[in-house]
Amino acid sequence: MNYTEILSPKFEPETTGTTIMAVIYDGGLIIGADSRTSSGQFVADRCADKIDYVHDRIFCLRSGSAADTQTIAKYVRYYVDAHAQELGRLPAVATAANLFRNFLYEYKDSLSAAIIVAGWDPYKGPQIFTLPLGGSVIEQKWSIGGSGSTFIWGFCDANYKENMTLQEARAFVLHAVAHAMYRDGSSGGIIRLLNVTKDKIEREFIDYKDVPVK
Amino acid sequence: MIFNSELSGQQQHTTSPVVTGGSVIALVYKGGVVIGTDTLCSYGSMAAFKNVEKIAQVSKNTLYVSSGEFSDFQQVVKELAKIDRSALQYDDGVHPSPRDYGNFLARLSYKKRCKINPLYLQNVIAGFHNGERYLALVDIYGTYLESNFVTTGFASYFCKAIISNYWNENCTLDQAKQVIRECFKVLFCRDCRAHDMIQLGYVDEQGVHIEQAERVETKWDFNGFKTRANEKLHTQ
Repeated sequence: MNYTEILSPKFEPETTGTTIMAVIYDGGLIIGADSRTSSGQFVADRCADKIDYVHDRIFCLRSGSAADTQTIAKYVRYYVDAHAQELGRLPAVATAANLFRNFLYEYKDSLSAAIIVAGWDPYKGPQIFTLPLGGSVIEQKWSIGGSGSTFIWGFCDANYKENMTLQEARAFVLHAVAHAMYRDGSSGGIIRLLNVTKDKIEREFIDYKDVPVK
Repeated sequence: MIFNSELSGQQQHTTSPVVTGGSVIALVYKGGVVIGTDTLCSYGSMAAFKNVEKIAQVSKNTLYVSSGEFSDFQQVVKELAKIDRSALQYDDGVHPSPRDYGNFLARLSYKKRCKINPLYLQNVIAGFHNGERYLALVDIYGTYLESNFVTTGFASYFCKAIISNYWNENCTLDQAKQVIRECFKVLFCRDCRAHDMIQLGYVDEQGVHIEQAERVETKWDFNGFKTRANEKLHTQ
């Protein structure tokens, strides 16, 4: 096996230079993400799905090293599955968040992973937990992450309102992610949206031509 | 794999924080102990999380707050909760006192310091037990200091003078709270990583009380500030 490329000092691990976002609205939550996975300057995957399934009503948004976050998500998916089997009912979003947190905290020096856990459970409704680099857990009504998020803090602070309707929340996420992709070289491609409610999960694919800001 | 930092056999541990909480100020008053902190967690220089509740109730008569790495704070809260739970196993009705928590935290911090893997925190434990007020600071190395007043972070530079001049250990709760509010006003003006929303909590004979977050009022409309203009310096 040829190691010369990996051992070269210029090798850049595949990361999800990215824009990810989740917003709670009145009745559920909207999750949005771009679709670019970059390996340094090269776009390794131009149509990635960064909205990872953890359980029927629990999703995670990954940023940082793709390898780290994919592996952790795989473990947490397995743990939550086993837990839900025993529980016999939907697991709490906080449970999934705590399982992620345990990884991010214990291995904080070896990992480059920041995750947003978003979902709905029958106990507390829609919830969003932000897990930044060190392994803290912070519950929020809306959260943005990834390299693209730096460009839209102002936009989000100005446009976020409590108790938005589904349409308002969808428009907020769509425009915010689009603005981030507009300026962040590590974000781009198409926008994927997901609406999580008590009754269903609705995925939406926003083609490049329909991205509102280009 | 070459990128695995554990390959060398020794685990390296970080000594630089990611998400940090700000200054903490705690004062003893006639009937108990009061702690104040702001509600901000910073991500480097960014004010990332603005509504964070950082005052943890550890037991019926003990409060714990810290400044430094927020994930370590959350971890310590879990560790302290474990002590109370394991004490329950003896089923003898004996609960850890505030000093027991302070001592445990000092030992834990020292152990981690010896392994060059510190809990990146300045910790403050406050409590009221058997009619006595308790307040202690445990720093990143495990140094344990009981005191009548405690400040961490930037507050140690700015606020000790305010505290010396306006507080004494037998003041009322309201007086102590007001001193803390004045301190946070100064911090908001002079500390980049401070926020003007603060939260106060106090422990007395009745137990723990944690209040709602409040905004401190700072004055910016001084005449000198308003009428200050560079063109005046150069055109007179």
